[in-house]
Amino acid sequence: MEQTKANTKTTRDASAEGFEPRIVAFVCNWCTYAGADLAGTSRMQYAPNVRIIKLPCTGRIDPMFILKAFEGGADAVLVSGCHPGDCHYTSGNYHARRRWAVFHKLLDFTGIDPGRLHFSWVSAAEGRKFADLINDVTEAVRGLGPFASDNPARRQA
Amino acid sequence: MKVLEARKIGELAAALSGAGWRVLLPIEDGNVVRLAPWSPGAAVRTDVVPVNSLKDALFPPSEAIGRFGLDGNDFTVKEAPVDSARTVALCVRACDTAALGLLDTIFNWDFPDAFYNARRSAVTIVSLVCTSADEQCFCTSVGGRPDATVGADAVLRPAEAGAKLIFEPLTDKGRALVSAATALLADVADATVVADKPAEVPQLFDRPAVTKWLGANFDSPLWQDWSLACLGCGACAFACPTCHCFDIQDETTRSRCVRYRNWDACALSLFTQHAGGHNPRADQAARRRQRLMHKLSYIPERFALVGCVGCGRCERACPAGLGIVEICQAIEEIQKVPAR
Amino acid sequence: MNVTEAIRADAARLLTEGRARMVIGYRLHHGRGVPVFLTAPERVDSLYYGPQCTLNLAAYLSRPEVRRSAPVAIVAAPAALRSLVVLAAESQVPEGSVLALAVGPDEYHGVVDAAAAAELLRTRYACLEADPDLSARAAELAAMSPRERSAFWQEQFARCTRCYACRAACPGCYCQRCVVEKNMPQWVSTAARGHGNYAWHILRAFHQAGRCVLCGACESACPQGIELMLLNISIAQNVQEQFGATPGLDPEAKPVMGTFRPDDKDEFIR
Repeated sequence: MEQTKANTKTTRDASAEGFEPRIVAFVCNWCTYAGADLAGTSRMQYAPNVRIIKLPCTGRIDPMFILKAFEGGADAVLVSGCHPGDCHYTSGNYHARRRWAVFHKLLDFTGIDPGRLHFSWVSAAEGRKFADLINDVTEAVRGLGPFASDNPARRQA
Repeated sequence: MKVLEARKIGELAAALSGAGWRVLLPIEDGNVVRLAPWSPGAAVRTDVVPVNSLKDALFPPSEAIGRFGLDGNDFTVKEAPVDSARTVALCVRACDTAALGLLDTIFNWDFPDAFYNARRSAVTIVSLVCTSADEQCFCTSVGGRPDATVGADAVLRPAEAGAKLIFEPLTDKGRALVSAATALLADVADATVVADKPAEVPQLFDRPAVTKWLGANFDSPLWQDWSLACLGCGACAFACPTCHCFDIQDETTRSRCVRYRNWDACALSLFTQHAGGHNPRADQAARRRQRLMHKLSYIPERFALVGCVGCGRCERACPAGLGIVEICQAIEEIQKVPAR
Repeated sequence: MNVTEAIRADAARLLTEGRARMVIGYRLHHGRGVPVFLTAPERVDSLYYGPQCTLNLAAYLSRPEVRRSAPVAIVAAPAALRSLVVLAAESQVPEGSVLALAVGPDEYHGVVDAAAAAELLRTRYACLEADPDLSARAAELAAMSPRERSAFWQEQFARCTRCYACRAACPGCYCQRCVVEKNMPQWVSTAARGHGNYAWHILRAFHQAGRCVLCGACESACPQGIELMLLNISIAQNVQEQFGATPGLDPEAKPVMGTFRPDDKDEFIR
C-alpha cells in the first residue's frame, strides 16, 4: 500500500511541466470572503490559482457544488466559512460541518484524492490565514498534479 | 456442416477480434451476465439470458448526437460521428433477433435514424438456439420460438448435449465470418452431428385475444390493481429488447454543447410531464397501462407487429417481479367469464 | 403455526376488524417473494413468507395509492421495521396509519406500530450487524489508493443505465420530484455515462446519510449488479463514528443530517 501511494505521488508530480492548479473556493460572505478581501486590501500576495464563489453562508453550500467544480475542470476545491459559534446566521456552519464530515469521506471512498478537497474556518479578520491557506493548498495540489481526466467525476469532452 | 466446440466460443471471439471485428457476447460482469464487448479472459456464459439485450449495441443507453460550439459570435456545428465499427454479436437469443423487426421499423418510421442504421448495418448477428428456458421465458406466446432465425446472419445450434455448436451461416454477412474462424470450425459431413432439441416453451396466453381486450378496456379499473406493485423505475423498459423511447438533453458549458440521446421509460413519473405542470399519465396505473397497451395494442395496430418478444427480461429485472405474462393471463381469465 | 400461517391469520384479523384497509405482504411467484396488496380478508391465502421475501415493502408506504388506502399493514422483517421507524421519525407516516406484521429470521412477532417496532428492534435486533462480507469488501476498498478506488468505481458506474431502480426500491427515497429530475437548471447530467452516473450515485448515497438502514433493497433492485451497498455502508459507518447515530431505532429521533451538536468533530477542517 505504501509503495502504491508513493508511486501515485511521484508519477503525478507535474510541477516540472509548469502545471498550474485550478482551485475553486466556495466561501461564505460574512467571514471568509471578508477575510479574503482583507488579504487583498492589505496587499498580501497569494497564489492566483483560486476562483472564489461567494455564498451567503456555508450552510447554503450543497455538496453537489463541490462535484460540479470537479466535473467542470477544478483540480481542487476549497470550502471555507465562519468559525463554529460565529456564523452570521447562527447555525449555518454547524449544518455545513455535518455535511462535510460525511461528504469528504464519501468522495475519498469513491476515488477523489482527499488532498483535493479542503475545508477551513477563516474569519473576516484572518486575511493572513486566508492567504497562507491558498498558498498551501495551491502547492499541495501542484504536487498532486492535474485531476485525472479519466476520473469518473470529470465531465468528458 | 461446420461445427464448433462449445467450450471454444471464447477462442472464436478472440479470432474474430483478431480479424478486426468488435465482438459482443454474453459474459460474466460482476455478478450478472451481460451481452458486452469481449476481452481476453472474459468468462462466456450461454446458460442464462443476459440482463441486457442486443438493443444496447444498436441504440445505446446514452449517445452524443450533436456537438455545437460557440466561439465568440461563431456558432459551429461539429459532426457527431456515427458508429459504424464492424461488430459481431455472438450467442444472441432468438427473442433479441425477433425485436429487430420492430426496432428497424421504429428507427426508420418517419425519419431514417443515422445512428441506429449505421450500427445496424455494421453488425453481424450470430444467434444461439435456446435448448433451455426459464420460468420467465414466453417467446411462444408472442409469435416467437426458441429456434427462430429471423434477423440472424448465422445461427449456432447446440448439439451433443451442448458440447458442440453447429454453425450455419444464413446471409452473406454470416458467411463472411467463416474465413476468420476456419481453425475453429470443423468441417463435418452433414447429419453426422444432430442438433439438440430446442427448449420447450409452453404457450402461456393467447396474444390476439389479449390485444382485442386491450383495445376495448382502456378505462378498466383493473389497471389500478395491476399497477400497485410498480415502483415506477425504468428497469423493465431498459432491459427490454423492443423498448425504444428516448429523451434528448443538451449539456452545455458557456462555449460547448453536446446533445445526448438518452434512454427514457414510460414508467417514470415525469415521462409525460408537461411544461405547464399537467401530467396526462398522473398515476402509476396510467403508466403501467401505457406499457402494456403500447406493446400489445398500439404497435400491433400501427405496424402489424407485436411489441413484445417474450424474453422475460422485464420480469427478471423488476424489483417487484412484475412482467407481462401475469396481466395477460389475468386478461384471458376475464374473457372466460361470460358477459352478464 | 408457522410464520406464513401466523401472518395470514393476523392479516385476516386486521382487515376484518378494520384496523387495516390494505395489507401489503409477499406471495411466491416464479421463486421470488413479490408484493401482494390485499384489501379483502378472504384473499389472505395468497400471503407467503420465506427466505425469498427480501424486498423492503416499506418502499410502498410513500406511494400515493397506498397512502389513500390507509390504514395499511405491511409484512416487515427487521430492516423494513427500521425503515418504518425512519419514516415515522421523518413524519412520513401519520400516527395510526401504518402497522407492521413483524417477522424475524424464523419467527413471527405479531402486529406492531412504529413505536412498538422500535422497541422490538432495540430488544431483539439491537446488534444489527452489517453483513461481514460487505464490511470486509468496504475495508478492502478503503485500503486501496485513491487512483485504484477511482478505477473501481469507474467500472461500477459505467454499468449504470440510470433506470433508477435503486431509487424506486428504497423506502427512504420518497421525494415527489427527485433532484436529478430538476431541469431548470439541470443539476445532474441524466446521460448514462461518466460524470452523470458518478454524480447520481454520490447524490443518492449522500441523501441517504443518517437515514439508510442498510436493507440492501437498492443493490438487489439494480439490474446491473452495481455494488451500491459499499457506498451505503461506508457512509453508515462514518455517520456512526462521527455522530453516534444509527437510524431506524427511534421514531422520535431527530434527523442526523438536519441537526448538529456544537461539539461535532472537525479535525479535518483547518
